[in-house]
Amino acid sequence: MKRFRQLVIPYLAWSLVMLLLPMVLIAFYSFIKAGNSIVHFQLTLDNYLRFFTDRDFLIILWRSLAIALKTTGICLLLGYPIAYVISRSSEKVQQRLILAITLPMWINMLVRTYAWIGLLSAGGPVEWVLNLLHIPHGELLYTETAVLIGMVYNFLPFMILQIQTSLAKMDRSLLEAASDLGANGWQAFRKVTLPLSLPGVVSGITLVFLPAVSAFFIPKLLGGGQYFLIGNVIENQFITVGEWNFGSAISMIMAVLMMLLMMLVRRLDARGGRK
Amino acid sequence: MENEKNKLIQFRHIVKNFDDQQVLKGIDLDIYENEFVTLLGPSGCGKTTLLRILGGFIDPDGGEVIFDGKDIAKLPPYKRELNTVFQKYALFPHLNVYENIAFGLRLQKMSEDVIEQKVKKMLKLIGLEGYENKDVTLMSGGQQQRVAIARALVNEPSVLLLDEPLGALDLKLRKEMQYELKRIQQEVGITFIFVTHDQEEALTMSDKIVVMKEGEIMQVGTPEDIYNEPANAYVAKFVGESNLIPGRMIQDRLVRFNDTDFDCVDAGFRPQELVDVVIRPEDIDIVAPDAGKLQGTVESVLFKGVHYEVMVETIPGTHITVNMHVNRNEANEKQEGDLRISANNFYLDLEDMKDWDDADLIARADAQAWNAATDELLPIERVQTDLKDELGEYSVTFHTVDGLFITRKIWVIDQKVVENRKVNEAVSAFNFFKTPDEIQESIALDTDLKTWANAQAWKLDDENETVNLSVEYDFDPENIREGIYPVTFWTTGREFKIHTTDFVEEGRKVGLTFEPEDIHVMEKMGFSE
Repeated sequence: MKRFRQLVIPYLAWSLVMLLLPMVLIAFYSFIKAGNSIVHFQLTLDNYLRFFTDRDFLIILWRSLAIALKTTGICLLLGYPIAYVISRSSEKVQQRLILAITLPMWINMLVRTYAWIGLLSAGGPVEWVLNLLHIPHGELLYTETAVLIGMVYNFLPFMILQIQTSLAKMDRSLLEAASDLGANGWQAFRKVTLPLSLPGVVSGITLVFLPAVSAFFIPKLLGGGQYFLIGNVIENQFITVGEWNFGSAISMIMAVLMMLLMMLVRRLDARGGRK
Repeated sequence: MENEKNKLIQFRHIVKNFDDQQVLKGIDLDIYENEFVTLLGPSGCGKTTLLRILGGFIDPDGGEVIFDGKDIAKLPPYKRELNTVFQKYALFPHLNVYENIAFGLRLQKMSEDVIEQKVKKMLKLIGLEGYENKDVTLMSGGQQQRVAIARALVNEPSVLLLDEPLGALDLKLRKEMQYELKRIQQEVGITFIFVTHDQEEALTMSDKIVVMKEGEIMQVGTPEDIYNEPANAYVAKFVGESNLIPGRMIQDRLVRFNDTDFDCVDAGFRPQELVDVVIRPEDIDIVAPDAGKLQGTVESVLFKGVHYEVMVETIPGTHITVNMHVNRNEANEKQEGDLRISANNFYLDLEDMKDWDDADLIARADAQAWNAATDELLPIERVQTDLKDELGEYSVTFHTVDGLFITRKIWVIDQKVVENRKVNEAVSAFNFFKTPDEIQESIALDTDLKTWANAQAWKLDDENETVNLSVEYDFDPENIREGIYPVTFWTTGREFKIHTTDFVEEGRKVGLTFEPEDIHVMEKMGFSE
């Protein structure tokens, strides 16, 4: 075994260079002044101060967290029942349904988001259906709703697949046991299925919330440049404005925030899972 | 115990099909209060299905399940007053021992101190006091088993169903749990319905055993009944070890087998009715030949720990001897450049003449063609023959694509069949032709000899039941030359298995003796099964 352990060294080195180094660089950039290089630099907290003292940035941060939370909530509410139905169907049907869910992912996310512009635009199919059903509505495209729809559409499969996996792993005889001990369908779900699927729910939440909070092209395309999220700010700082140090600082703030949130979720999961 | 009043569960003609297979063929069974009932049978006999129907996990396709006077066939599991211990325990992995056991009580909305009191009592019953907060997934199989039993029993069901609950435990733990289960059942005083394929387990624990086979009940009775008075050959074979001998009932209390009339205690058969006779190995004593009711030769002796298992042959088997003609290798082979073709003369049975095709002839002649340079096998492309449905000598020619051919002889004969009415069997075999090469190349010569001679043995009353054949020859396969060699095929005769604590040498002539009450006569199993 010891001899084989050495084989891990190249992979470890690779991970260090490819994963850790960029992150260290981002952290480093966030603490130095604009125009510095890696050799000549001056440490500063200005980048962070700038973010926390500007009201606009804080509003955008709040808005980003809020829409990510909404996205995650909707994905959970839609995804759990879908995952449940999939895991209850026969092996063959399960495979087909999972294929149907993963199939759109074969097409580039950007292209699929563009497609929503067409769907939601004035005189588009969505408006036509709403008019047909006499549902009052305002402008569809370039609103928060449009961004929300885009996000849910893109991230829902992650939620479904995570929950479905944890439900499929569950031993069916546990439900028989619950039923045998006097639990009706709802009680068996609440006392057995739900707690046992929580790990899947948690990883589903993680996989939806993280990309949703830092998404930038969905709000850009479906929000029409008017609906700015934190991802767009970071993108702007790096690509348009060219202020890498400030961009790095915002990234660091987001990273720490995410870490704290995930720790919270995991703690809740650990408490919920075991009494 | 068996009176109408305390009949707790009644299965009324239960039928169940899976796909197009009938797994339960109309089960009628009564189960009484406070009984330890075992459903015993091999896998696929329907015992688990029957238990799951009672638990409510499977709906029967027909019949009634009457529980305490009411038909519960349509009731979902959670409304039934019985609890199940599942095959793989099915403990809730997210709950600790205490919460697993309390699961059913919480659903009944009991107060916390009642729950605690009941759970504690259960833990004491199963001997796991102090394990309340243990993680069930980290417990041993035996402990999980106990928790599963406690989780079911705490609800105070009137019936506990156990689906092969000891299957996953090792032998020692199994034995322990057998006593443990019996003790718990006697202590709580409710009906246990236990499913197993282990006859020993069934004999140890049960008040009543239900022996099942292919969706039907073969026998219901106490362990003593099942062992001492098996209803038929199937039960006798499945429960305990036994000598099963075909016999004939001469009159009440007189049965004939091994060409001898024996006094027995069974009556009520038709005169001359064909029956199965069972004698348990421990009921037979080995004595001097002239003191025995049967005489025989000791064939084998195996030490089994507590006793020896002795096989005594009382009727010799059936022998048939055929001639193996060994020809020079060259006589069977023709060559053209690197190409070779070979085939043997062979005999055919007139009876087999009704349906044969080229592939049969190639197989029987063992016709082969190959390229000696590349060792590549070549196909036999064409077979020419003047073979007719009459006794006589014919010729057959095998051709390859390359124009190479070989001509051999076929003799159509009446196949030699030796019938042995005493042991109800027949043996047949052909003379055959081989070359030294073929014999030396054989990897499993005994099997090949049987194939070459087309040696077969079967029961006279049922041609489809084959009988094992042994082979005997006295040539040296490594150094065999041209010539004619006798090969004998033989069956084992009627053997008796005897369990005895005294050692006997193999090959000794002995007598066997047993008492009239050791002979148990059973009706022949019908063809309906």
